[in-house]
Amino acid sequence: MDIVFQLLFQGIGIGSVYALVALGFVLIFRATNVVNFAQGEFSMVAAFLMVIFSVDLEWPYWISFILSLGGMAIYGALFNLGVYFPLRHRTYLPVIISTIGASILVSNSTLALYGPQPQVLSNLLDFPGFNIGTVYLDTQYLLIIGVTVVLVAFQYWFFEHTLLGKKLQATSQDKEMASLLGIPVATMIMVTFVYSAMIGGLAGILVAPILFVSIHMGGTIALKAFAATIIGGFGDVAGAIIGGLALGVIETFGAAYVSVPYKDGFAFLVLVAFLVFRPQGIFGERVAEKA
Amino acid sequence: MTNFTRRSFTSALALGVAAPAFLRNASAQSATIKIGQVVPITGPAAEAGKYAMAGAKIALDEINKKGGILGKQVEIITEDDQTTNPGAVLAFSKLATNPDIVAFVTSIRSTQVHAMAPDIAKIAKPTMFGGTDPTLTKLGNPWLFRCRPNDTFSGKVIAEFGVKELGLKKWGIVHSTDAFGTNGMKALEASLLALGVTPVAIQGYANQSQDFTPVVLALKQAGIDIISSYFTFENDLGIFARQLRQLGVNAPWVGSPSIVNTTAIKLAGAALNNTYGVADYAEESSPEAKAFADTYRAMMKVAPDNQSSWTFDGMHLLAMAINKAGKTDPDAVRAAMLSIKGYKGAEGEYNFDANGDGLHGYNVVKNVGGKIEFAKHIEFPA
Amino acid sequence: MSSMIDIYRASAQRKQRGLLAYIALIAVLVYVAATTTFDGYITNILMQAVTYSVAVMGLTVVLGLCGQINLAQAAFFGLGAYAVGLGTVDYGLSYWICLGLGLAVVFGFGAFLGTSTIRLGGHYLAMVTISFQQILTLVMINWIPVTHGPDGVSRILKPSLFNTPQSYLAFCVVVLAVVGYLVWQLPSTKLGRAMRAVRDNELAAGVTGIDIQRTKVTAFAICALLGGLGGGLFAGGFSYVSPDQFSFAESIVFLTMVLLGGVASPIGAVIGTGLLILIPEWLRFLKSIPGLYLAIYGLAVILIVLFMPDGIWGFVVQRLKSLRGSLRFSAELPELTLVQTQAHADEVLVVNNLAKHFGGLKAVDDISFVVKRGSVHALIGPNGSGKTTTLNVLSGLYTPTAGAVKLDGQDITHFAPHERTAYGLGRTFQNIRLFRSMTALENVIIGVERPGNPVDHAPIALEGRARAALNFVGLGDRADELVTSFSYGHQRLIEIARALAGNPTLLLLDEPAAGLNSTEKMELRDLLKRIAAKGLTILIIDHDMTLVSEVAEHITVLNFGRRIADGDPVSVLNHPDVVTAYLGSDANAAH
Repeated sequence: MDIVFQLLFQGIGIGSVYALVALGFVLIFRATNVVNFAQGEFSMVAAFLMVIFSVDLEWPYWISFILSLGGMAIYGALFNLGVYFPLRHRTYLPVIISTIGASILVSNSTLALYGPQPQVLSNLLDFPGFNIGTVYLDTQYLLIIGVTVVLVAFQYWFFEHTLLGKKLQATSQDKEMASLLGIPVATMIMVTFVYSAMIGGLAGILVAPILFVSIHMGGTIALKAFAATIIGGFGDVAGAIIGGLALGVIETFGAAYVSVPYKDGFAFLVLVAFLVFRPQGIFGERVAEKA
Repeated sequence: MTNFTRRSFTSALALGVAAPAFLRNASAQSATIKIGQVVPITGPAAEAGKYAMAGAKIALDEINKKGGILGKQVEIITEDDQTTNPGAVLAFSKLATNPDIVAFVTSIRSTQVHAMAPDIAKIAKPTMFGGTDPTLTKLGNPWLFRCRPNDTFSGKVIAEFGVKELGLKKWGIVHSTDAFGTNGMKALEASLLALGVTPVAIQGYANQSQDFTPVVLALKQAGIDIISSYFTFENDLGIFARQLRQLGVNAPWVGSPSIVNTTAIKLAGAALNNTYGVADYAEESSPEAKAFADTYRAMMKVAPDNQSSWTFDGMHLLAMAINKAGKTDPDAVRAAMLSIKGYKGAEGEYNFDANGDGLHGYNVVKNVGGKIEFAKHIEFPA
Repeated sequence: MSSMIDIYRASAQRKQRGLLAYIALIAVLVYVAATTTFDGYITNILMQAVTYSVAVMGLTVVLGLCGQINLAQAAFFGLGAYAVGLGTVDYGLSYWICLGLGLAVVFGFGAFLGTSTIRLGGHYLAMVTISFQQILTLVMINWIPVTHGPDGVSRILKPSLFNTPQSYLAFCVVVLAVVGYLVWQLPSTKLGRAMRAVRDNELAAGVTGIDIQRTKVTAFAICALLGGLGGGLFAGGFSYVSPDQFSFAESIVFLTMVLLGGVASPIGAVIGTGLLILIPEWLRFLKSIPGLYLAIYGLAVILIVLFMPDGIWGFVVQRLKSLRGSLRFSAELPELTLVQTQAHADEVLVVNNLAKHFGGLKAVDDISFVVKRGSVHALIGPNGSGKTTTLNVLSGLYTPTAGAVKLDGQDITHFAPHERTAYGLGRTFQNIRLFRSMTALENVIIGVERPGNPVDHAPIALEGRARAALNFVGLGDRADELVTSFSYGHQRLIEIARALAGNPTLLLLDEPAAGLNSTEKMELRDLLKRIAAKGLTILIIDHDMTLVSEVAEHITVLNFGRRIADGDPVSVLNHPDVVTAYLGSDANAAH
């Protein structure tokens, strides 16, 4: 039984990482209708900023943290201007390719600037973890789970109860209508990219002490987060969270009870099964295009 | 164009006809001896590639200081293999088009050597490599020379050390499912069985996993009292080591060479304290190894590991063999290489067997608070 | 003035000359490949470029022609490669048998993935293909007894017929040439037009009689097949395969190749493949800083997407086009004939107690009416009265909540749109739905090609009928122009021509006068009268009272989803409920 709890904790922990990254995915998807294949690099870049500020320059953790998130805000804005904005009137395909190009560009620029060696980033808290019974709880994972809960609550409040949030929601639902209502759509999309980059960055900073900082850290996580968004229902914030957590738990248990080497396969197998057999279970009845 | 006379045309033509022969002559007379190196400059193994280049560079400087090869200075020409197999094939075939290159130093990754092997056989020039898959020297490819002990030895040494020195019998094996990890696991399992021990848990994992909890729990449940491991990437090793200790598994651990490499120790920190590793390279194992370590540290500011020591040895072995042969003719160099006996390199004592395996033993080292200490050398007859 | 046959001959001759030039070019390339001794490095690069190009052409079909995404091309490539590798090495089979088996396996996987998931489209298809890719990679790595795991398969044999690198390369060039030719010709075949129609406008494709699902699955399976073929050739060429050569990252590379070169043409596929294999090789000199050249590569990808939206070849073609004048034919065309199916009864369309509810909203509630053969029947009503919903139910875009629809005696209530079309239903759309990347002629040819159209389906007859239909609506001399170059009113006429070309039993016109100016409306009215004069039954939906009262013989009026009046124009338009519905109750009270 202890094993089950241990696996559950771990699954929820890693699932929260997927969920955090998926959250950033969904926001951009809702606002622009494109899948951002460079989402994983948001996490990677933030983790490297953290390494630069807190390890190389030895600045205090909190200052580095704030600077890194600030850096991500700027990065998100530049990303929008360079990768999405010029293509906003085209179909989703060129945008997908453009984000793929950005992913290659950013990860390899980081490699060129910082070298290939994985970096160590220390935990936020000094004590690494504790036992409840025989179940070990890693404080960093606890922190990640906590941040995920807080962020989801914040996001809910933000979108439902603030003017900016409502404007963003209106933009993602119907850009034409939103602009008729006087909402500056381009600005709203910019805000979305900035916010998404910051969330992705936050996930990167939080997960860095566990997975280490390397140019490849974002890739796998982003792919899983992508799967999570689909399982949860594309374009749905709550769905992304549930999808991420479900994915983390499924693959942890799958690894423990079925096969470790095929661990990454479970996520995709579940996903395919979902899409093939119960697509309506995810996104409900599809309404035909108005003729 | 008006003063283009018939005579100048004829002489130009003559020069054109003669040029290839002339050039060929020039290349044979070229000022340096060139050795090609295939190395990961980009991709996941780019860090290791830097070390491999440094090892070769140190040997290069030493060789040139001592007068080079056949009285000529030596030069290394590198190509990036991008840490992929097709990349390695392209990199090697690019080097192979350069007729001035007399020999090659290639990859520490077995799959890449597998991928390049047909091209190596075609170009038929001596090629040093560091991949430890035992089958590589049994392909019937006469041009492959291994500068590291192959995995049958790492398995044998891990088994011998764990069973005989530490006296432990309930083995758990963790391995990457890539070629290196799988073959290493198989060799270790065979060696354990030969000593009358059946492993109680064998766990494979795919490279770049983010979480090892299921693996650790499986080991725990199996009631192991000793762990051995074949990890390919340091970040996987680091995550596993931490989770292993966090979940309260404190059994002795004897790992494959990656457990004692510099990056792994940096990443895993205290979690790797008191672990053993087999190491083809250990600083304290011989005066030659120590001397290499001093030079390397002066240049790179970090401790050397097997990524650099084998390229260092490979370059020296090539220089020795060519000098011994007295010419760069591949067959002569090959014969000279196979006749090398008792050469003491940074990795150990080289005695090439007919397959092209130079080393037949491993060092066992211990990580004591982040410092690698030499524990024992176990050698098997060639 | 020349006859239709002359035009056809001229274009056939042009095609033939193109083919001859193509064959000559290929012959030269094959000769060069077979006789020149390249060094190992060049041979490897050429081999990679040629085999990858075959796979990339698969993406030209699925992405360029059909508009569907496939992020698993490396997986299909790998399946083909492993079939040849494992088959020749482990089972000692002949190269050709292995290649054939590989193609069968790949085709099977492609068709299965296609049939099970392609209806999802867009991002979901992207995700499913990624999943397939990831799972296949894991299987290649972990199913060691069969796949040799990460070690890969080495010492793969070339076929004995092409045992040297040169002859094998020449063979691969021939295969590429044949595939290239087929992919080049595909757009102007029936299947190719169907794919383009699906890409341009799925909805319109369905109502012009194209089986969307089958078209997409076919495109996907062809793509997989070419991927497998490329992979099989690759395995023979490199004689070593391992799982990391067929990873997700490689699928991305394939996709980038096709987009870089241009999705619209096989030439683009070759250009893109060649460049993406060569660029990293050219940039090797930048290797002293790790990552730099891949960074430049990433930047180049972004810049190309930004500044060359149709890829390099698309960019070149556009430059060439502006230099070359457009071809224009004018010819004596036969009069458009509208063949009518054997009359089953006097009623062409019978709608019985039809209802369509969206949740609590009763958009259409218990409507019945009959359209008589040879009549012009109008369905009118104010905004939100349920007209368009009725039309969408009739053409099969919505399934009705209750009720039945009979066309020519056949119950079509549960038919898919393309099945109704096959049964003789033609329609136009309120907001025009043409296939925007095609010429007017091609749009109308798709109309002629509707299944069940009782005309000659030989290419020359197809084209003749399509031109006649365009001529009938007054656009015969502009048949070869792209539809996007036509005015809104003319686009509507092309849409009508497309429907007419298919010889419908019943023509549904959805607000044909919407967006037209008064002259265009007059022309439309005359056209409708000419169509009616040919005996075609028309159901017109509009709220333009002038048009309706001038052309219709019978009018059905809807309001709030219910039928409020039905009869001849004069009595219906004076019906008090109709007046109220249109002018409001105040007007009613005032008179």
